[in-house]
Amino acid sequence: MSTIESSRARAVADLTEGRILASVEIAAPPERVFRALTSAEIVDWWERPGVFDTKEWSGDVRVGGRWRASGQVRGQPYALEGEFLEVDPPRKLVHTWQRVGAPGQPTIVTYLLEALEGGTRITLRHEGFVAREQCTGAYIGWETSFERLAALIAGDRANRRASA
Amino acid sequence: MHRAQASDDVFRAIADPTRRAILDRLRAGPANAGALAADFRQSRPAISKHLRVLRQARLVTDRRIGRERVYAVDPLPLQSVAGWIEGYRAFWQASFARLKRNLEGK
Repeated sequence: MSTIESSRARAVADLTEGRILASVEIAAPPERVFRALTSAEIVDWWERPGVFDTKEWSGDVRVGGRWRASGQVRGQPYALEGEFLEVDPPRKLVHTWQRVGAPGQPTIVTYLLEALEGGTRITLRHEGFVAREQCTGAYIGWETSFERLAALIAGDRANRRASA
Repeated sequence: MHRAQASDDVFRAIADPTRRAILDRLRAGPANAGALAADFRQSRPAISKHLRVLRQARLVTDRRIGRERVYAVDPLPLQSVAGWIEGYRAFWQASFARLKRNLEGK
């Protein structure tokens, strides 16, 4: 039987729409989860050992307020910033997201929190990745494996050959 | 072509919803401009303009068959978009996994 504790975090990229969809179920009430999304507690979870590590986060959590984060990714410093667009605890949070100093439109992060029996489901949408202005920011450091992608493209090509 | 320029063309190409739909349509199989214009209920010049942008980004290739020009999709240039977005995908997956561990006290 599947339980909240045994469920796993998942994230998928929708390439042609230029967005990420992610979800996770957590055995903690929405109020508790919301606090983790809107406080310096972020430094404890915007983290993946050896890949990226957020060291600082500060934010003025109200509509129109701004947030800022900094840390390291693969040994290189980075800084992010954004503005809160919607703050509706403990159900919904929307903020912009941009690398400090990067040109172009920021991307937008939307968290939806849904109370479950014994926990919370977070559904995240991170969108706006295909705007042309952002291509200059495309060389942001959070690059990881191209292997998955290579497999995807190999699959597409194989399909094309098969259908040709 | 410089990598940045090529990437710029790809982003511009897929920023438009009609062009994304054309790519999706071509994924199902090659088609000529007339067939695409009929599918999308747009004029042939409008479709040709979209195809030109897609061709410039190398997302679409064309082949002359008799008097027809047939278009097919080439997903390879999407690599520059995918490489970028994949970093964010991995970021959220890892972060949510960490958040879950933290809040469940493990």
